Amino acid sequence: MVADYDVIVIGAGLGGLTCGSLVAREGLKTLVLEQSDIIGGCCSTFEVDGYKFDVGASIVEVIQPLERFFEMMGGKISDYLDLIPCDPIYSFITDDGKRFSVPTDIDETTELIKRIAPEDVEGWKRFCRVGLEMIEDMMDAVMLSPMNTFSEAMLLAARNPQIMKFAPTFLRTHQGVIRSFYKNPVMIQSAAFQSYFAGAPPELGSGVFGYIALSEHLGIYYPRGGMIGIPNGIAKAGADHGMEVRTDVKVEKLLIENGTATGVRLEDGTTITAKLVVSNLNAQVTYFKLVGPENLPRWAVKAMASYQNSMPCPMIYVGLDKKPDLEAHHTVVTSTLESMNNVWNNYYKLGIIPDTAMSLVCWPTEADPSLAPEGKHILNFLCNAPAPYSPRGDNWDRLKGWYKEAAIKELETYVLPDVRDHIEYIQVSTPLDFERRLLHPEGGIYGLFSDMTTLAMFRPRSRSRAVKNLYLTGSSTHLGGGVPTTVASGIVTSKYIVKDHG
Amino acid sequence: MKNIKKVMAALALIAAVAAWFQASESTRRYLVYIGKQVPYLPYRYFI
Repeated sequence: MVADYDVIVIGAGLGGLTCGSLVAREGLKTLVLEQSDIIGGCCSTFEVDGYKFDVGASIVEVIQPLERFFEMMGGKISDYLDLIPCDPIYSFITDDGKRFSVPTDIDETTELIKRIAPEDVEGWKRFCRVGLEMIEDMMDAVMLSPMNTFSEAMLLAARNPQIMKFAPTFLRTHQGVIRSFYKNPVMIQSAAFQSYFAGAPPELGSGVFGYIALSEHLGIYYPRGGMIGIPNGIAKAGADHGMEVRTDVKVEKLLIENGTATGVRLEDGTTITAKLVVSNLNAQVTYFKLVGPENLPRWAVKAMASYQNSMPCPMIYVGLDKKPDLEAHHTVVTSTLESMNNVWNNYYKLGIIPDTAMSLVCWPTEADPSLAPEGKHILNFLCNAPAPYSPRGDNWDRLKGWYKEAAIKELETYVLPDVRDHIEYIQVSTPLDFERRLLHPEGGIYGLFSDMTTLAMFRPRSRSRAVKNLYLTGSSTHLGGGVPTTVASGIVTSKYIVKDHG
Repeated sequence: MKNIKKVMAALALIAAVAAWFQASESTRRYLVYIGKQVPYLPYRYFI
């Protein structure tokens, strides 16, 4: 029987679109199915009352995977994306009320550190030296290469012996890496909170994410028109090579015959066959809902059940008729390293919504005023402190109003004292909303929890071993959640497919 | 030879206990967490 398509990709997130585009360029007839009415998943943008809000992702850094993707598609990044550089990287508001902004330029940052933490200037220079070498050496070797098995990892190490000196970083914690460079509490907190970008507290998160605070100095960018510019650019590159994308299509089940994926069944009962299927959904959703435990060996069920999801992160979308009192695209209200860990241990794990201030205020109209009606502004307010999926004795649908009020009070404290009088639009997206909209179990928008026991060959494989001709991509696979990492996952998965079926 | 092995094992145990009591609360939580994940690694490797 002739299959309808060579490749079906479930989910038009960054990983799915990247993988679909690359295999389409290899001449495989490719269809991408997206359950939502817009593409991009967490990296997307929706419009309400003239305001364009980003769903989740608020910036792109480490753009090398994107550059590599467009090169592999036969073009260049500027053909498809209009990226606006953002400088300064962050404006910080510390727990003791200090405010300072961190510039992109490394020399300017050194001058800043001389003023706020002179004892850490040498540590900062060492952080730059080690980090820049690591980023350069590991970009292709680790980010863009298959690493599903020990033998693949060994092969990588043999081909790139220079990366072996960075192996201990994967075994350390995020805070362990940061503390090896800094002594000053402000410097430590300014580089530790990024652990929550990978969905874990600094005491549990992988040491490799400790270098996020440096990678940002290589440039952070905002796509003109909103974060959806990135998936749109990737989809356009894919469409140029025949990739087809259908939105508003819900996949109900994976079709499996004799342990081999043969296509998908849609919610309306339609079946579409393919030689192979790529899932860009969370790996637990893929295996437990699309495949079904009944089609999996017991070891696979046990493996998938062992993963925890990363933390949920409620977001508040605000449309203002006044310019906010901010200095940068991102403002971080941060707290001490101890509080960052305590919020996880004493609140999140016990099902309590924390009242401590640790938040990320994103001001996209600073970079691109066209996102709001003239003279108006947007804030995407991310409560970066982990908020439990199941608040003790309550649920997020009931807590929405209360949470919105708490967010407004925080904005009054840190952003605009009279913000209440200038809000034209406000909406809260709770962990339940993220779960319903993005199909991330428990609203964990960073995919599966990331620590040293869930990275590389211990994360779900890009080429499934449990179901033949099933491939995975996105935040559930190596290297986890984030724009560059999910694009990289799409590149890696496409390499497996081309090797197996190209 | 048997006695040397026993002495080495006892020393390793003493070192581990000493390290545990010297470790910070944060490090202990990390070690407990990792210890709980280790049994799953063989399953995770193959999925």
